[in-house]
Amino acid sequence: MIAARHISKSFPGVLANQDVSFDVSAGEVHSLLGENGAGKSTLAAILTGLYQPDAGHVEINGARVAIKSPRHGLALGIGMVHQHFRLVSQFTVAENISLGDRKQNWILSTKKVEEAVHEIGERYGLPVDPRARINELTVGEQQRVEIIKTLYRGAQVLLLDEPTSVLTPQEVTTLFDSVRTLASEGKSVIFISHKLGEVMDISDRVTVMRDGKVVGNTAVAHTSREELARMMVGRDVDLSAIRATKPVGAPLLEVRGLTAKSARSQVSNASIVVKAGEIVGIAGVSGNGQRALAEGIAGLTPLIDGHVIICGTDVTSKGSIAARKAGLSYVPEDRNGTGLAPSLSISENMLLTEDLPFLVNLKSAVAKAEEAINAYSIKTPGASTATRMLSGGNVQKVLLARELGHDPQVLIVSSPTWGLDVGAVEFVRSKLNELRNQGRAILLISEDLDEVRALSDRIYVIFEGKIVMECPGEGADVTTLGLAMAGASA
Amino acid sequence: MKISLERRGSVKSWHLIGVPLLSVIFGILVGGLFLEATGYNAILIFKTMSQTSYTTLYGIGDTLAAATPLIFTALAALVAFRVNLYSIGAEGQLFVGGIFASGVGIAVGTSSSALAIPAVLIAGIVGGMAWMTLPALFRAWFGTSEIITTLMFNFVALFLMRYLIYGSSTYWRDPTSTNFPQGKKIDQNAWLPRFGTQSIHWGLVLALVATVGIWFLLRKTRFGYEMKVLGDAPNAARYSGVPVKRMTFTVLIISGGLAGLAGASEVAGRAHALDPNGLAIGLGYAGIIVATLARLNPFGAVIIAIGFGGLQNSASALQSLGTESVPSAIATTLQGLILLLALAGELFVRYRLKVSKRVEVSA
Repeated sequence: MIAARHISKSFPGVLANQDVSFDVSAGEVHSLLGENGAGKSTLAAILTGLYQPDAGHVEINGARVAIKSPRHGLALGIGMVHQHFRLVSQFTVAENISLGDRKQNWILSTKKVEEAVHEIGERYGLPVDPRARINELTVGEQQRVEIIKTLYRGAQVLLLDEPTSVLTPQEVTTLFDSVRTLASEGKSVIFISHKLGEVMDISDRVTVMRDGKVVGNTAVAHTSREELARMMVGRDVDLSAIRATKPVGAPLLEVRGLTAKSARSQVSNASIVVKAGEIVGIAGVSGNGQRALAEGIAGLTPLIDGHVIICGTDVTSKGSIAARKAGLSYVPEDRNGTGLAPSLSISENMLLTEDLPFLVNLKSAVAKAEEAINAYSIKTPGASTATRMLSGGNVQKVLLARELGHDPQVLIVSSPTWGLDVGAVEFVRSKLNELRNQGRAILLISEDLDEVRALSDRIYVIFEGKIVMECPGEGADVTTLGLAMAGASA
Repeated sequence: MKISLERRGSVKSWHLIGVPLLSVIFGILVGGLFLEATGYNAILIFKTMSQTSYTTLYGIGDTLAAATPLIFTALAALVAFRVNLYSIGAEGQLFVGGIFASGVGIAVGTSSSALAIPAVLIAGIVGGMAWMTLPALFRAWFGTSEIITTLMFNFVALFLMRYLIYGSSTYWRDPTSTNFPQGKKIDQNAWLPRFGTQSIHWGLVLALVATVGIWFLLRKTRFGYEMKVLGDAPNAARYSGVPVKRMTFTVLIISGGLAGLAGASEVAGRAHALDPNGLAIGLGYAGIIVATLARLNPFGAVIIAIGFGGLQNSASALQSLGTESVPSAIATTLQGLILLLALAGELFVRYRLKVSKRVEVSA
């Protein structure tokens, strides 16, 4: 159906795709597996017409084509569902689908579109009310709108970019059902992901990319998770579960009835205890109050109600400096932007959570940065490089190096491995485990349920700003957790 | 063929100097073409410009004097802009600084210079700060756009200043001037001494000291570090524990003080009185342009201010050029053209043109 032939594409300083060939037949679900920066997104951008290849070409049904733009790509039957949705939240579903639709008259009529949405929804198991506004829909439903939009425009080939990153486990199951229906109707689906389990579940074939090159192409039936992981990273990896081996100690972090707001995040009446030597996970779908919870504890936002006690000191609403002095470190989800100032150098960023004197000693910061670069093997041209120039894994290393340098008693980490490649994930996990073994208390807030299950000794589930469930980490059941994350009362 | 802009992989240091230099040269060339096309002798005009501003001792003196207030207002702008506070209130703060400075200057009477001069300068700073207080409070605690409030305050300050001289017999107006209303002279002890030529005064030295001071503040102190974090990532500042509201307020107040000092320096160094016509020549707005062209670097601002001051001087000189006299509109056009191209050229610091062959299209 669609094929890439010997595609190369470079950007200043990077060879993003190097002689990449890959093909998808009709009715096939084909996964593109690779770590961040492996070249998946570049390839997707070339297939949809956003970029032009430097060398090589794209074929559709055996004929060579030059896809000039995403619109042209769509006209040729190639549609993409982006990880971050491109929807106007105040518009209805039908209006969003009409947007940019050249079939529309200058007087907008959404009636036909509404019918079409209904019909497509029925056919592929993508039910959604065409008259609902986008901001009334759940994230899973919004994703359906994106898929329907590309189908409505006549896509025969669908690229789904990390589609499961925003979904609950149940929503993932529904999505996969639809994907299978699409394939059975003869459409081709290209599933872009770095999650091995999902790739094994959904695909017929998988193409693995590493450093801009294709390193493997195989039918899923003939491979295993371990083999795919090895291809993706280039060596053996171990991401199996790790738990506390020593008995836990006294509570280091006590949160009582915390109610707080931060930006659009809200949490109400949350009570949490984290003891010395344990990792406690907060599981939940993105946007259910995790940010308000973390910022409330870390003192970035004043509490509306409740108390935060760190190592016996009451730091309720006393600000981030007080929380730090009591022994807390916070590694936020937004690394470059909150945890680090992205245009500042590594060494300048080392000072962000220091107690600074009136005159800043930049030389000592450089020494600290160099120490961190060595100890954490951070890949950077030097200590004066701005952190926004670093890759995701290295950014997280800078942040961890600085925060762990304070030797915190309590550590809050939010989505600590989000967007990191497997090697960096392994590193972060082993660091967290090391801290646990040293008797520190760790609160792990993550939307990645697998990660929460793999590391936590205890798990809380957060839904719409409330803690709705607590259970031990060992043997925690995905279905039960998933239902709690979706708000079903257990 | 397809021409597109492409982000430079890395910005080399020569781009930072070379690009603006080329832009200015290009601006002069285009300006020259424009002059020739409208029937003027471009060579002669450029020669006059360089003589009145850059190549003769008196020219340089006038240029430096013209640059003095621009250095202050540029510092005022760049301090605020660095933390993404787009205050355009230097204009009004300069007027109020002038009002305060002249008020004190008239009042000091015959006290010694060692007292009178600092008193006048401090009055100017206080005036500028006072004029910034309301916009700064509203910006920091209620998020009111500082662009709107400071702009509005500029007009209030302008009319206040005009009222004090033209509108009434106030304390600031000279009662002895019978024909055209003028400001009352401040006491001679409060004058900033002149040196070098007839026009350079100690305000210039003060401006350079302020430049070094601001550089030190930005570069070496905790306050400067926190400003850098706040300017780059407000959330990181919040995370680090910077009191963001207080910081916003303080930065704006510093900016106001610098603008007020510009007014004091003009009053005590140049006019020796509150002189509405001489103060209201857009020094505050020009400071924004200077700061932007200097990429918010204090030392860069000094250099750009000198270049800009010269351009301003020469524009007026062109109007008295005898047979080749250029109407003021053309002089201003020329000035604007050079500035416009210099600003437009900034794009090429980060981007470069890429010429590529169009990809072949087949079905």
